[in-house]
Amino acid sequence: MAADVVLGIDDLTVEFPGVKALDGVSFAVRPGEVHALVGENGAGKSTLLKVLGGVISATRGSVSLEGRPYRPSRPRDAQEAGIAVIYQEFTLFPDLTVAENVFTGREPHHRVTRALDYATMRAECRRIFGQLDVDIDPDARVGDLSISEQQLVEIAKALSVDGRVIIMDEPTAALASSEVARLLDVVRRLRAEGRSVIYVSHHLEEVFEVADRATVLRDGRFVATLDIAATTEDELVRRMVGRDVESVFHREDAERGAVVLQVQNLRAGRVLKDVTIDVRAGEVVGIGGVAGAGQIELTQAVFGALRVHAGSMTLDGRAFTPGSPADAIRAGVGFLHEDRKSAGNFPHLSVEHNLTMTVLDRVRGLGRLISTRRQREVWTTYRERMRIKASSHAQLISNLSGGNQQKVLLGRALAPGGHLLVLNEPTRGVDIGAKAEIHQLVNELTSQGVGVLMVSSDLPELLGMSDRIVVLSQGRVVGRLSGEDATEENVIACATTGRRIGVAA
Amino acid sequence: MTSTELDDGKQGQRVTSTVTTTEAVADGGRPRRTGGRDLGHLWDSWGMTACLAVLVAFAAATDPEFLQLANIQSVLTESAYLGIVAAAMTVAIVNGTFDLSVGGQLALVSVVSLMGYEAGGTGLAVAAALGCGLACGLVNGTLVTLLRVPPFVATLGMLFVFRGVAYILTEDSPAVLPYTEIDSGFAQLGSMRIAEVPLPFLLMVGFFAATYVFLRRTTAGRRVVAYGSSPEAARFSGVSATRVRFLVFGLLGLAVGIAVLTYITRIWTADGATQDGFELRVITAAVLGGASLQGGKGSLVGTFSAVLLVAVLNDLMVGQGVSAGVQQMVLGGVLILALGIDGVRTKYGHRFRAVLSRRREVAAPS
Repeated sequence: MAADVVLGIDDLTVEFPGVKALDGVSFAVRPGEVHALVGENGAGKSTLLKVLGGVISATRGSVSLEGRPYRPSRPRDAQEAGIAVIYQEFTLFPDLTVAENVFTGREPHHRVTRALDYATMRAECRRIFGQLDVDIDPDARVGDLSISEQQLVEIAKALSVDGRVIIMDEPTAALASSEVARLLDVVRRLRAEGRSVIYVSHHLEEVFEVADRATVLRDGRFVATLDIAATTEDELVRRMVGRDVESVFHREDAERGAVVLQVQNLRAGRVLKDVTIDVRAGEVVGIGGVAGAGQIELTQAVFGALRVHAGSMTLDGRAFTPGSPADAIRAGVGFLHEDRKSAGNFPHLSVEHNLTMTVLDRVRGLGRLISTRRQREVWTTYRERMRIKASSHAQLISNLSGGNQQKVLLGRALAPGGHLLVLNEPTRGVDIGAKAEIHQLVNELTSQGVGVLMVSSDLPELLGMSDRIVVLSQGRVVGRLSGEDATEENVIACATTGRRIGVAA
Repeated sequence: MTSTELDDGKQGQRVTSTVTTTEAVADGGRPRRTGGRDLGHLWDSWGMTACLAVLVAFAAATDPEFLQLANIQSVLTESAYLGIVAAAMTVAIVNGTFDLSVGGQLALVSVVSLMGYEAGGTGLAVAAALGCGLACGLVNGTLVTLLRVPPFVATLGMLFVFRGVAYILTEDSPAVLPYTEIDSGFAQLGSMRIAEVPLPFLLMVGFFAATYVFLRRTTAGRRVVAYGSSPEAARFSGVSATRVRFLVFGLLGLAVGIAVLTYITRIWTADGATQDGFELRVITAAVLGGASLQGGKGSLVGTFSAVLLVAVLNDLMVGQGVSAGVQQMVLGGVLILALGIDGVRTKYGHRFRAVLSRRREVAAPS
């Protein structure tokens, strides 16, 4: 039995003040397998990774690596033991080259001069990249690489120390779909070499595509380890949430009203070249395309956060030229940023103060001072409407789960009360339960006459939630898909092959 | 008072008992509690005040002269000018910036105010102090927002410029308030007492209170805090960075103006070298009080206590005949110790608390 186990986790428990983040978790990772780790946000996956990576210590329980006890007290111990963790936030130095990054802290030196031995570093990098079948220049500056290439550098770093267990935390979260395929290929190649991969992901399709087994965690406890070949997606989801969820993407038709937003031949920022689009009351218009095709720029231009060079916009039939997000908010545009952590949350502020940020002028009372009562009213209204689970209005937003944070930010976007809502990646990094809730909220909003402009790199979500899809490529519209045309194949074809659908060539 | 309590004192208390760490409530808002109050939160809020209380008790027990009315009045008077600027500096630090030029501002405003007195008496002296302070702040605000100079560089540069101007204005002789003016309204500002409480201290308390209300209950103050917590999120919530920064540097300039009214009216003379190193003592007080130079977090209650703590400490050392050199070393040591405790708490707090809660479980199995 022991020979079949490379990494044994036994009764692992991690306590934080007031809560058990991990509670008696036990499972085993076999050599040469891809072992998926799944569970909703807050299930304890990140905590487990931190223990394995030597970032935090367990309160109780033990881990064994190839039969020997493994108790890292710092990240370096993990690295030296052959466990490489690739976190969602990369640990690369953007101003150094690829080779320098791969060898950070263990640079080879020339035997005589003691100078850095760049030749060896380059050769070793090429060997590893060759092994992964990818083409990255060892002398490139890491800051100039795309996110997916940076991720490959992280993987190369893990391989250069001969990592026997490679742990990937949400590796595809920031990748476009073509890049996902490449990453999954790399994962299979690692397995073929006899390495074990622990693969953490919210995306079950990927899990089914690449993993051999999957361990499910819920509320910090072990639920089950399942053979992927002998289980189904529904089964896995049921184990994760502990209940049956209805079909995740369920768009309810809402009555279409007048045009809320009209964008005419818009050119803005550096990417957006020429986009014409309109959004009616009660509909969801999805924007698709590969990463960087101009989706984000479009939403930012509509929100006054990006310089517009040419073209025009109307909001509710009136000319609309927002000079700043403040202008757009005053005009009633609600906006959800794609990066919740760095451009959404105010981590030091309470949920209530986070939510009321866009309506401060409206919660003033006596002497133009902020009225605690009015502020509380706004919070209570949106807590109920968005079904936010928080222990009190004074709870810090950073202490909520990703899904609940997102609901607070949705409330903030809606509070000014306009009827155009711009959503960037509305369910990124959100667990399945919260995802369904957010989709339900979008349905409710459109039935109340709100028009939604939505960018999502999650293709099933884009297809499932949009009434119409507009595909962008290099800052121009290359596809207008609705009804039967709105298929995964068509979106990908428009986005990546230059094919045009519903658009004059 | 951490940023949480920039909300409401009472709410802050509740946060203390319900909120723990990120992981605590991460599982869908259903924290499974194993018991235990978060002492860290209490320390953030009231740690410096507790230290002050301990130090005062120690001073009262060891130094019979400490509790004499005249001594207490002198300590409070002495704290005022530092405290007023430290309150504004706390706002700046919460906003994610700081101002290295306040020492130069203090020298320049002092000189200008004395010149104003010479030219037009008390009224002009007060107006000159407030006006010149505000003008200095707006210069900084312009550099930082319109010209986009990083605050560190802009205010470091202006430190030298302000001091330079003060030097030029006093090239022939330092600016002074002549002894014949001892009964003037201006001189009274520094020495007057209301019910035995020195006026400078009352001004400081008033300024802290006004700043507290500004941060907690005005929309502008909320935006200042929000910007410090996350500039990007603030931008996408319609907060104007320009407005927020002008406000912060303007407030600092105004604070220097008010501080000068409590300072120059007691010292009566100023030149370019006045209060060398003032900016660093101000920042020290704010940081001792719990402000984080990363922004988003700071405590006016903490800063207030830290200002008094430093004043009491200095008074004690002067009473014991400790040399100025040793006094400086002690101040530095206190700063490092305070932040060291903080650092250790952040780094090892987890393990320490884990051990504590395990003990508790063993002692009282549920």
